[in-house]
Amino acid sequence: MKKFVSMRSWLLVFPAFLFLVLFFLIPLLYIFVESFISKGGFSFFHYQETFSDSAFRTIYFRSIKISFLVTLLAVALGYPSALVIAKMRPNKRAFIMSLIILTLMVNSVARTFAWFVIMGRFGLINQFLSSLSIINHPVKILFTEQAIIIGLLQLFFPLMVLPLVSALENLPAGVEEAARSLGASKSKAFFRIVFPLSTEGLVLGGTLVFTGSITAYTTPAILGGNKVLMLSTLLYQKSMVLFDWGGATVVSIVMLLTTIALNRALHQFKPKYS
Amino acid sequence: MKKQWLSLSILILTFIFLLGPFLILFISAFGSESTIIFPPKKFSIFWFQKVLNMHMFQNAFKTSVFLATASTFVALIIGVPAAYASNRFSYWGKETLNLFFTSPIIVPGLIIGFSLLRFFVLFGNFSIFLGLFIGHTIILLPYIIRVVSASLSNFDTSIEEAAVSLGASRLKTFFLVVLPNVRSGVTAAFILAFITSLNDVPVSLFLSGPGVAPLPIQMLTYMEYYFDPTITALSTILIVFTIFIVQVAEKTLGLSGFLSGRRNEIS
Repeated sequence: MKKFVSMRSWLLVFPAFLFLVLFFLIPLLYIFVESFISKGGFSFFHYQETFSDSAFRTIYFRSIKISFLVTLLAVALGYPSALVIAKMRPNKRAFIMSLIILTLMVNSVARTFAWFVIMGRFGLINQFLSSLSIINHPVKILFTEQAIIIGLLQLFFPLMVLPLVSALENLPAGVEEAARSLGASKSKAFFRIVFPLSTEGLVLGGTLVFTGSITAYTTPAILGGNKVLMLSTLLYQKSMVLFDWGGATVVSIVMLLTTIALNRALHQFKPKYS
Repeated sequence: MKKQWLSLSILILTFIFLLGPFLILFISAFGSESTIIFPPKKFSIFWFQKVLNMHMFQNAFKTSVFLATASTFVALIIGVPAAYASNRFSYWGKETLNLFFTSPIIVPGLIIGFSLLRFFVLFGNFSIFLGLFIGHTIILLPYIIRVVSASLSNFDTSIEEAAVSLGASRLKTFFLVVLPNVRSGVTAAFILAFITSLNDVPVSLFLSGPGVAPLPIQMLTYMEYYFDPTITALSTILIVFTIFIVQVAEKTLGLSGFLSGRRNEIS
């Protein structure tokens, strides 16, 4: 009887399982194998060629640097914001949260394009600076690392704030006051009570923003262009422009492994108690 | 008190940073110049009229809606039974399977699309739309399973057992008792998946081809060649469209409850 139930459950699960094995797992394994094949045999050729290319190394470390800075800025802006939001009255908080979620729902092309309007040659910033006679010629803001960082920060900021707010609003009411009334200083109450309880949100938000930034395509494509490549735009260029499929598979394997490693590494910081 | 002030001003600045670009986009979309200038010298709805009449974007919009509908439906059809089984029964390999079902969230969308492209090339001629449809179904499945599971676990199993013990078959129970009770969860999953599909760039990027491209990819392609307020107007339309869907969903379902901890494929 038990075996029968188990069989029947498997029947329910099987279509989804089969679909993912066929179209998700096998293609991933396929590009993994493909990255080790050159001239019909097994070789590390594509890896050697990719890693010995100084442009690739620059792009790889730039991607990590940009994603790290975006995460850092998201924490710097997100943590204070989340503290304020978590202490708001419920209906006010719900309104703010729905605004944040709304930005998350808007198409990334539309969101990134807005920065084009602001950063372009005749964009808001250049108009403003030249109207104050600070500059004579339009300054170049687009197609720089800074432009990508600003774009990614605006794109992924909600993914930092949402987990932080939900961690902070689960804080039992009055714990901070209790610590204070027992003689802890304001900063001590924060670092010993509030902060440790919010680490789970911080780790989740950090993981989402970091891995989101390092794999994002739209923002580096629009705001970085061909000038400032990241791993994602490099992958596109290698495959769809240069048709260097061997190199492209290596870039995608490197990107995949980096993402998984980051996920694992940040997971270590998760508090053990919960 | 001083600290509170600092935090509050950071919050306000952050919101200007978060929402300001939308406002600027809106205003510049109503310009009449042929380059994007902010603020516009004269206002008109010329670019809106132009973009709504462009076949390129009309086709892309149709592709997007058709794609989102098809992939969401198929993801529901294979995802809901899987979510139901993992909630109600125990079977061999359940933990591993649940992990496997959520793994498309961890793998970057760009790589899902890229690996599918390489894989399909093995088979020679393949339909571009079919590729897009498979890619989208893969990324929607984890959301469907997660949201439907969450709403199934809130549903009291004893009601179901009552129906079965009164003689209804398992299948009948599922359609007449379980499904109507998790309707809002399934609808929320549908809307979330639909929006995710409409907005997707990374998975579609490698799977699009000449003539068949979803709207975001068509927009990116257009931007490679032209720099005029067409995209500004189109972006504005999309934002208003999204606000409308989210508002409806929020009012009828309380969508934000389903969103906590969601990894969005927004890039």
